[in-house]
Amino acid sequence: MRLDQLKKSIRNFASVYKSSKSGLLGLVILLFFVFMAIFAPFLAPYDPYKRVDRPLKPPSDKYLLGTNDIGQDIFSELIYGTRVSLLIGFAAAFFSVTIGTLVGVVSGFLGGAVEEVLMRFTDVIMILPNIPLLILLMAIFGKQSFYIMVLAISITGWTTAARLVRSSTLSIKERAYVEAAKAIGAGDRHIITKHILPNISPLIMATMIYEVAGAMMSEAGLAFLGLGDPSNKSWGMILHYAETSGGWYANMGYPAWWWIIPPGLCIALTVASLVLIGQAMEEIINPRLRRR
Amino acid sequence: MAYIIKRTVSRIITFAIVISLVFFLARSAGTDPFERYLSEDPRIPPEQIQRLRARFGLDKPLYMQYLDFITNTLTGEFGYSLYFHRPVFDVVMERMPYTLFLLSISIIISTIVSFVVGVYFAWKRGTKVDLWGTNVCMFIRSTPHFWLGMILLIVFAYYYPIFPLFGALTPGITYSNTFEYIGDLLYHAALPLTTLIVREIGMYVLYMRNSTVEVLGEDYMLTAKAKGVSARSIMFKHAARNAMLPMVTVTALRFGFMVNGAILTETVFSYPGTGRLIYQAIINDDFFLLQGAFFIIAVAVLLANLIADLICAWLDPRIKM
Repeated sequence: MRLDQLKKSIRNFASVYKSSKSGLLGLVILLFFVFMAIFAPFLAPYDPYKRVDRPLKPPSDKYLLGTNDIGQDIFSELIYGTRVSLLIGFAAAFFSVTIGTLVGVVSGFLGGAVEEVLMRFTDVIMILPNIPLLILLMAIFGKQSFYIMVLAISITGWTTAARLVRSSTLSIKERAYVEAAKAIGAGDRHIITKHILPNISPLIMATMIYEVAGAMMSEAGLAFLGLGDPSNKSWGMILHYAETSGGWYANMGYPAWWWIIPPGLCIALTVASLVLIGQAMEEIINPRLRRR
Repeated sequence: MAYIIKRTVSRIITFAIVISLVFFLARSAGTDPFERYLSEDPRIPPEQIQRLRARFGLDKPLYMQYLDFITNTLTGEFGYSLYFHRPVFDVVMERMPYTLFLLSISIIISTIVSFVVGVYFAWKRGTKVDLWGTNVCMFIRSTPHFWLGMILLIVFAYYYPIFPLFGALTPGITYSNTFEYIGDLLYHAALPLTTLIVREIGMYVLYMRNSTVEVLGEDYMLTAKAKGVSARSIMFKHAARNAMLPMVTVTALRFGFMVNGAILTETVFSYPGTGRLIYQAIINDDFFLLQGAFFIIAVAVLLANLIADLICAWLDPRIKM
C-alpha cells in the first residue's frame, strides 16, 4: 500500500519534472558526470597517480590533455577527479542537510529558549564568510584528508537548511491535522516523524541539491588553495597543481590551456546542472515560482 | 537609537561567540601552539619548553587561558606571524586597504549593473532575451572565481598582453602625481575587479530579476497600469523601487560572500590583499596569522552588516530607528 503511494508520488513528480526543459538539461549533464565517476577505471586510459611519460607534455593522441608536472596523464586525472569532486559534494551536502534538518525541526517544533539559542548560533555561523572559516577549521584539524574536508564543509554548511526547515516546521506545526493528531494524544515523536518530516521532505531534497552545488564550490576553492588531499585529486586540486607547478608556462612559455580550462569547465557544468535541477524541483514544490 | 544599540550589542555578542568557538575548537583539536611548532624540535630541551609555556601563560587553567585569549583578541593582540616575524595585526592591516578597495569598487559596480539588467530581464520575462540572459548568468555564477580569473589572465595577460600579470602597482616606480598613481592602481586592479564583478553580476542579476518579477505580480502594479501610468514609469518608479529593498538586505550578506571571492581572486592575480595573505599563511603553516586574519575579517564582515542594517532602516520606514 505504502509502496504504491510512493510509486504514484514519484510518477507525479516525474511528470511535472519532465515539463521543465532546463531541469531535464541539468539532469542530463549531472548523469553524464555521475556516469564518468562510476566508470572512471574503464574510461580513463591511464592510472592518474602513476607517471606515464615526460612531464609537461602538450596534448597528443596518446595523452588527450597532455601530462602534468610529474608526468601523469591529465585526462585520466580529470576523469578520476569527477569521483572525488562529486563524492565530497554529495557527502558534505548529505551531512550538512542532516544537521540542518535536525536543528531546524528541533528549534521550530520546541520553540522557546531552545529555538532562540539554536537560531542565534545559526546566525553566527551564517554571517561568517565560509572560505576563511573553512580554512581556519582545516588548519585546526591540521590534516589534509578527504574526510576532514567533508567534515569541515558539513559543519559550516548546515545553516541554510536549518533556517528553511525551521520556517516550514513552524507553518506545518500550526496546521489543523497536526492539532487533530495532538488532540487524540499523539506524542512529539509521532508528530515529527509522521507529519512534519514527510511534509518537508521535498524541501529537504531541493535544499540538498543546492547544498551539493555549494559544497562542490567550497571544495574547489579549498583544493585550489592547496588544502586538498593529495591522494584523492579532485578537479580543484588539478587546478591547484596547474597554478603552482607549471600550468602557466607549460605551453612553450605560454599557459597550458588544456590543463587549466577542462577542470574548471567540469566544475562549472556540474554546479550549473545542480542549480538547474534544484530550480526545477523548487518549481514543483512551490508552483508560485513557475515562470509567469 | 535603541535599534542601533541593540544591533551593535548583538554583533558584539556574535563576535564573542566566534572567539570562544575558535578557542575551544583549537584546543580540543590539540592545536596547542607549543605542541604544533616546538615539541618536534629535538634541539629544545623540555625544561625550556616548560619555561616558555609558563611565560606565555599556557600552564594556567583552561578558563584563565580562555579569558586571556578573549582580552587579547578584543584588544587586537593576535600574536606573532611565524613567517613574517611581525605582529599579526600589523601584517593584516597593511594588506586590508587593497582588499577593501577591490570589494567596495566591485560591490558598487556590480550592484548598479545587476540592478539595471535584472529589471530589464524581468520586464522582458519569458522572451528570448530573458531566457538566454538568465541561463548565461546561471553559468557564470557556477564558475569558480579562481578559474574565471585564470581564464582572464590567459586571454588578457598572456595571449593579448594588455594587462599586467600580477601585483597591485608597478614595482620601483615613482609617481609624479596622484592621477598617475590611481591610473597604475586601476590598471593592475582591472582583471581582479573584472573577475569579482562578473561573478557578482551573474549572481545578482538573477536575484534582482526574480525580486522584480515578484513585485510585478502585486495588485498595485495593475492599479498603476489601469491609471494609465507609462510603462517606463511603472518599471522604474513602482517595480524597481520596491524590488530594491530585498536587494539592499542581500548586499549586507554579499560582503561576507565576496570575501570568499576575494581570497581566491587575489591568489590567482598575486594581488597583495588580505586574501592572498591567507593563502600565504596556508602554504607557510602560519596558524597565528591565519587565526588573526580570520578574526579581523570577521570583524570587518560584522561591521559591514551593521552598516547595511542602518542603511536598511533608513530606506525602509517600517523599521523603527
